[in-house]
Amino acid sequence: MRARLLTLTMALALAGVSREVSLEAHRLDEYLQATRLMVSLDRVTLEMDLTPGVAVAPAIVKTIDTNGDGVLSEAEADAYATQVVTSLVMKLDGEPVQPRLDGRQMPGLNALHEGTGVIRLRASAALPRTRTGDHHLFLRNTHRSDIAAYLANALVPDDDRIGITGQRRDAVQQELTIDYRVSGLHTWPTSLAFPIGALAALGLAALALAHAKNSRATNQ
Amino acid sequence: MSRFSRLLLLAAACVLSALPIAARSLQRGGAAPAPAANAGGTTARAVSAATAFLATLSDAERAKAAFPFDSPQKTNWSNLPTGIYQRNSLRLGDLAPAKRNAAMAVVAAVLSANGYRKVNDIMNGDEVLRTGGGGQGGGRGGGRGGGRGGPAFGLDEYYIAILGTPSPAAPWMVQFGGHHLAINVTIVGASNVMTPSLPAAQPASYTLNGQSIRPLGAENDKGFALINALNAGQQAKAILPSRVADLVLGAGQDGKTIQPEGILASELTPAQQTMLFDLAHEWVGILNDEGANAKMAELKGNLSRTYFAWSGPTTNGSVAYFRIQGPTVVIEYAPQGNVDHIHTIYRDPTNDYGAGLVKR
Repeated sequence: MRARLLTLTMALALAGVSREVSLEAHRLDEYLQATRLMVSLDRVTLEMDLTPGVAVAPAIVKTIDTNGDGVLSEAEADAYATQVVTSLVMKLDGEPVQPRLDGRQMPGLNALHEGTGVIRLRASAALPRTRTGDHHLFLRNTHRSDIAAYLANALVPDDDRIGITGQRRDAVQQELTIDYRVSGLHTWPTSLAFPIGALAALGLAALALAHAKNSRATNQ
Repeated sequence: MSRFSRLLLLAAACVLSALPIAARSLQRGGAAPAPAANAGGTTARAVSAATAFLATLSDAERAKAAFPFDSPQKTNWSNLPTGIYQRNSLRLGDLAPAKRNAAMAVVAAVLSANGYRKVNDIMNGDEVLRTGGGGQGGGRGGGRGGGRGGPAFGLDEYYIAILGTPSPAAPWMVQFGGHHLAINVTIVGASNVMTPSLPAAQPASYTLNGQSIRPLGAENDKGFALINALNAGQQAKAILPSRVADLVLGAGQDGKTIQPEGILASELTPAQQTMLFDLAHEWVGILNDEGANAKMAELKGNLSRTYFAWSGPTTNGSVAYFRIQGPTVVIEYAPQGNVDHIHTIYRDPTNDYGAGLVKR
């Protein structure tokens, strides 16, 4: 704790008076790591927004800028993003699942140093084809837990056959377990409801007309 | 035609007539459509104010203020100050007083009196932030922060954009914001919505002309009043066991719907439900009365699918987060580590930027 305070104090001093308002206005000595997860039948996708506070940004930049040339190269950004994703521990029903990096956006150095730059990552993991019933997806984010402020949330699934039944977290949201249920009920996608309904109506009308015609013919 | 044939035709007609209703219900998650409360008095006032404002501008100014309705500018808003975030629209500080007044008249035309006061309280708070020892990166002393590397604060650092042509029928939008403020009002005919919007505050309380101002004080106090009105069993459902460090669906999180949590509004007593809707109205009611009344009716119609969640201590004055979430609303209140710096967000997953209105 004392070391963290010392780091913060040094960072504030280095930042200087001209940053006074910026420092007041934004997260200081925490590394906000917000993760959102979307579960589908055979895949989980993750969005991560990583925002180092101004006091911890120099340390994060140093981690990314491995050759120390003051420039965040594409290769360095890729390597850091991969490092973050591999630090995630994920399990489906107790079995390990390994997410892989799908994409990333790295902000400029200035924004990072201001404590406002957001590193955005997208990752996903293939899931064993889930069966009808209850499932539990566990996530533990181990990246820079010494300075992290975590957020972890399930997004509402796109697939109606999947219903989130609960979200369980530890006190700091480093861990999230998503409880969800896969139902075997077949539901039509919304986009098909209208054409199917229209076809049904046309069919009924055609049937009615044919029946009327037959009735007339029989009567004659 | 036989009786059977007539029955079949009747069934076909019923199916056809029900389809548009079913489709609308599916699109909106079953929510009742938000009707225009009366025949668009707000729209007429807004069109008049926006047209007058645009007419005051030079060509160069208008080029900064006017955008096509579907321009990417629609999503170009943030809680961050100038210098850190580039808004690309027309800066109040670059306008002569008459033009600036015309710009603010547009904002006033689309908001309620209370909403307009809240916007001014947030802006004045930013001015206090600037004069209270900061803003050296921009603002009065150094001009603008944008492009000079430092953040800029204060009354000059708010921006306005008109997307689309102000019209009594066609969709258009008023976008106004700066540090700790984003107001996005989409108008389609007689209807209008104010999602997504981000009212925030720092400082959360200050004194101006001898008057104590708390831009988001009612939000804070009503939130604490509600959580304390719940009994132990209700609180056990409402209070999340984990810290919520920030907004989950803040700026840049358009089009996302998180799994709702907390206690269902239908599990609250009528008095508690009234408190919940009164709390929600602090955000909804920033908008003009026509739009706000329609939105409140919609929220009340979704009572059984609306949740209230809390994180943190329940003693007023503590750092605590809360969220109201239903099929057509997400409201989050998130102190930034202390009670003097508050971020909030107001969204409608079915109608951000008036997407639902435009579809109808």
